[in-house]
Amino acid sequence: MRIGNLTFGGGDPTMAALQTELVVRRGWLSQEQYGLVYGLARITPGTNLLAFTAAAGWIIAHWVGAVLGVLAMALPSAVMVVLLTGGYQAWNSNERAMAAIGGTLAAAIGMMATGAWQLLVPHIRRGDRFRAAVIFLGSLVLSLRFSMPPIQVLALGAIVGVFWRGPAEK
Amino acid sequence: MNLILLYLLLLKATVTSFSGLTSMPVVRNDLVEKYHVLTDRQLNAAVAAGRSAPGPNGLYIVSVGYFVAGVPGACMGCLAVITPAFLIIPMLRYLGARAERPALKSAIQGVTLAAAGLIITATVPLARDALTGPLAIAIAVGSFLFLVLTRKDTLWVILGSAAAGLTGKLLG
Repeated sequence: MRIGNLTFGGGDPTMAALQTELVVRRGWLSQEQYGLVYGLARITPGTNLLAFTAAAGWIIAHWVGAVLGVLAMALPSAVMVVLLTGGYQAWNSNERAMAAIGGTLAAAIGMMATGAWQLLVPHIRRGDRFRAAVIFLGSLVLSLRFSMPPIQVLALGAIVGVFWRGPAEK
Repeated sequence: MNLILLYLLLLKATVTSFSGLTSMPVVRNDLVEKYHVLTDRQLNAAVAAGRSAPGPNGLYIVSVGYFVAGVPGACMGCLAVITPAFLIIPMLRYLGARAERPALKSAIQGVTLAAAGLIITATVPLARDALTGPLAIAIAVGSFLFLVLTRKDTLWVILGSAAAGLTGKLLG
């Protein structure tokens, strides 16, 4: 169990890869348990992948499994993120390095736009366009034009979601 | 900044988001606008650093913590990312199949769609800071198209954009 989780921590893990490893190869989770954990992870706040590991770890070895699973998933990457951030600060004075970093900062803007786009795509594909457009544009206008705090916009989004269901939820 | 306050502010951002970058607008609102302990440029760098490392995207919060308060701050960031994951355990035990309830799913969809709008709003000031010339704009548009149209790893975008930035500097 521990070894298994630690090996996932190093790579670029996806829940699909974990399905192969946990369900098919090791038989630690049944296909139904995997489905339940996957569904719950999607509605748990925070990072879905970490919630997924916490739940899978819990089923396999309760608290020990949950804590070890989450740490194994998060820590190696967290250390890398700190090293990269430290590198950014260290190279701040070097002109050539700054040009390269400037390129990655510009790319990060593209990544953020991609992040928003990927949240919209499933709704566009399902034919849920009108509702998606209203909530998306409503949130954009409220925050950008009227400076409404993010938490309030998110709460409003949840309320609209409860009363206005998409086609799949009717 | 007090480490516990930093943890709570970052936790507020992670606990109200449902995937990767959706926590970014809350982080920006609190740390950049309210407390002034982070600059837009640092937040931008944090997103780039978070995406350069393998693993969950939400880990850019660790980098945010590092910018605000060094290694202890990074630890607070890491804790803030990890904490909400354990909410799934009570959900697993008590909710089980009820998690598929349409009202709950629809509410989460509402939050996620609203988050998409918020991400764009939070990106605007970051873009003003990072998009300093035609090359930077081309890199941003290029990386957006690359990520939307292909399923390739983000690492290629990071490497490509760094090379493009450096080339631009050496040529011009």
